[in-house]
Amino acid sequence: MRHMSRVLATTALVAAVTLGGPFAEAKTLVVGVADNLTTLDPANANDTLSGGAARVVLQGLYGFDSNMQLEPLLATSYEANADATEFTFHLRKGVKFHDGTDFNAEAVKINIDRVRDPKVPTKRQSLVSMVDHVEVIDPLTVKVVLKEPFGAMVNNLAHAGLFMISPAAIAKYGKDIDRNPVGTGPFIFKKWSGDLFEAVKNPNYWREGYPKVDGVTFKSVPENGSRIAMLQAGEASFVYPLPSELAPVVTANKNLEVVKVPSIIIRYVAMNTMKKPFDDVRVREALNYAVDKNAFCKVVYGGYCKPAEGPVPDLLKYSTAVQKGGWPYDPKKAKALLAEAGYPNGFETEMFSKNNSTYIRAMQFLQQQFAQVGVKLTVTPLEAGVEAQRIWSVAEPKDATVQTQYGGWSASTGDIDWALRPLFYGKGFPPKLFNVAYYKSEKTDTGIEAGIATADDAKRTSEYAAVQKQIWSDAPWIFLTDDQILVGQAKGLSGAFAAPDGGLNFEKAAFK
Amino acid sequence: MSDAVIPAATTAAPTVRSPLGEFWKRLLRQKLAMFAAGVLAVLVFSAAFAPWIAPYDPTAADYEQILAPPSAAHWAGTDAFGRDILSRIVYGGRISLAVGFLSVSIGGIVGIALGLIAGFYGRWLDSLIMRASDVLFAFPGILLAIGVIAILGPGIDNVIYAVAVFSVPTFARLVRGSTLALKHAPYVDAARATGVKNRWLMLRHILPGTLPSVIVYFSMRVGTSILTAAALSFIGLGAQPPSPEWGAMLADGRSFLGVASHVTLYPGLAIFVTVLAFNLLGDGLRDALDPKLKNA
Repeated sequence: MRHMSRVLATTALVAAVTLGGPFAEAKTLVVGVADNLTTLDPANANDTLSGGAARVVLQGLYGFDSNMQLEPLLATSYEANADATEFTFHLRKGVKFHDGTDFNAEAVKINIDRVRDPKVPTKRQSLVSMVDHVEVIDPLTVKVVLKEPFGAMVNNLAHAGLFMISPAAIAKYGKDIDRNPVGTGPFIFKKWSGDLFEAVKNPNYWREGYPKVDGVTFKSVPENGSRIAMLQAGEASFVYPLPSELAPVVTANKNLEVVKVPSIIIRYVAMNTMKKPFDDVRVREALNYAVDKNAFCKVVYGGYCKPAEGPVPDLLKYSTAVQKGGWPYDPKKAKALLAEAGYPNGFETEMFSKNNSTYIRAMQFLQQQFAQVGVKLTVTPLEAGVEAQRIWSVAEPKDATVQTQYGGWSASTGDIDWALRPLFYGKGFPPKLFNVAYYKSEKTDTGIEAGIATADDAKRTSEYAAVQKQIWSDAPWIFLTDDQILVGQAKGLSGAFAAPDGGLNFEKAAFK
Repeated sequence: MSDAVIPAATTAAPTVRSPLGEFWKRLLRQKLAMFAAGVLAVLVFSAAFAPWIAPYDPTAADYEQILAPPSAAHWAGTDAFGRDILSRIVYGGRISLAVGFLSVSIGGIVGIALGLIAGFYGRWLDSLIMRASDVLFAFPGILLAIGVIAILGPGIDNVIYAVAVFSVPTFARLVRGSTLALKHAPYVDAARATGVKNRWLMLRHILPGTLPSVIVYFSMRVGTSILTAAALSFIGLGAQPPSPEWGAMLADGRSFLGVASHVTLYPGLAIFVTVLAFNLLGDGLRDALDPKLKNA
């Protein structure tokens, strides 16, 4: 009998929860993600997902909105001097960390100093390595002084790596801060274990009227099918990433929707410009003509992408559409160019990439396209460790075995410098940065240097426009596509989004 | 009743069949095995004449027909690149059957030789070969194959060697057993007494005696090998794109299981039918060759 009553009580409880009614209006938002979080200390995270979980609890001086534009958070405004060496931030009044500590200029100084501290290196140190010192001017004004001009400083400070953590908590937890984040965010950290991360509503949040949900929970489900099943069953209301091949499953369900986000992720094939035959610009142009970018989108990303119109994704500020509609598809012209370069019968080459199924599909597609113009491509998917060894840790350019590499790049500081310098800078060959094309052009190099040396908008615009044109005409890459990010979510959910760099944001999440 | 039968039987006795004829007669009686053999014949035929049988070029992509479901134009539908799945299965049959036969043949030849030597000479040679086999037996087959691939590198050629390696110990043990039993059979003793050399004894007098069990095992092993090769290709260690190997096709289609199940269904069916056919044929051969079952 007692057993019976327990069953009844449980049933009633389940009914109360599932049937809703006035008590269940606000509820916890469950997010299904593909990977486990690596840390809750964003200064030591190198994955975008962990930064997204940290963003539930923590926030920076500035943040990014859903279009990757800067949005003031803990700072209300800033001023920079003309050489981009001094940035003065005005802070938001009356903000408190979750543990009651005041948020003020001193807290900002402690946080920036923590990330750049050479004695305890953090993974995101490079974001603030150009900082000389941080000055507290008054409790609500702080000045960041740089060693050298750096025009994208505010973007760097908006990156997850520079989220503000309570100074009291930093002192209290020390190294364990990566499991005990205390911030100013809309939710208060509750627990994190393995594949589960939980945070509850912060009743004293500074933004009036928010948060609108009781809490945010992350569940890590690596298997694509299971993650979608969670969404279908209502166990999760927001699922990221949604693989493009499963988008039709979500679209077909009337309670769910697919949200497409234009991203700042670009897909490309880097050609080793120091190796034959890619040392000839005509060959590189020919391969650009040989690939049908629209078909690439359709086959590899289920139609969720668009041809790249420049070497930098559209959405980034200062990005230029060098060629509207992308590099044209013209296999005849490709063949003519190859013949002109001395390869009338094509040639054989090899392509490296990561070994996940989407990348392999992309390379197979390129293999088919190359074959149309007589270029025989061997596809070599590399496991991450092997990739690091064969591509990223090659000390001398002449020792590089890479001929072509298929890859993608997300400029997660939201500034164009991080989309150009790592990939096209003549001093950025592996292992220093990621210039796998071993591309070096004086014009490009001086342009990249000039662009970052100023905070002046007009100057940056003209410098970067020239750089992008130069790169496009040198064609060290096959410029493929700009990705779209796909999110699957319940129809009643609003305000939750994945930013163009894949960073998750739930500050304004609400259920209808 | 029995009185009436015996005279009839004795009158029918004079026709003496050769052992091969006996075997054929018994094999033909195995309906299921014959059906399996028929299926395999069709498979081998279509693989051999793939260019004439396949309706399309297996590598020709049609980006207007991506993931199209089965239709009159494409009987098994198309894959993620718009390639005709039926044509790919027909061409893929070449790879799968070749891998199955080659790997088991290589493993079989090496295994038989080792088994004969071990069984015939005995003593330390026997111990050495059998203990080495035991070591190989200690690993699950697929794990051993992955180990071999790890050393040789991915690729369909290496899959053949990998699968051959793990077939060797079974053949060796099988042949050694038969050799031990036959070594002292009266006809072998008689041959030895007339001065036949060891090598000749092994090849001419003992090896044929071990063949029935080897043939049975061979046919079953081909099925397993095809399955293993497909599994290795599935996890990316075997055939590389754009090869239409069946396991690689499964791996390709896996991501589309929720939206286009035909991409995995048909290669899966091909593997299933082929492996089943080899196993049924093996069962039939065993029943036809095993003298103990003769009067059952």
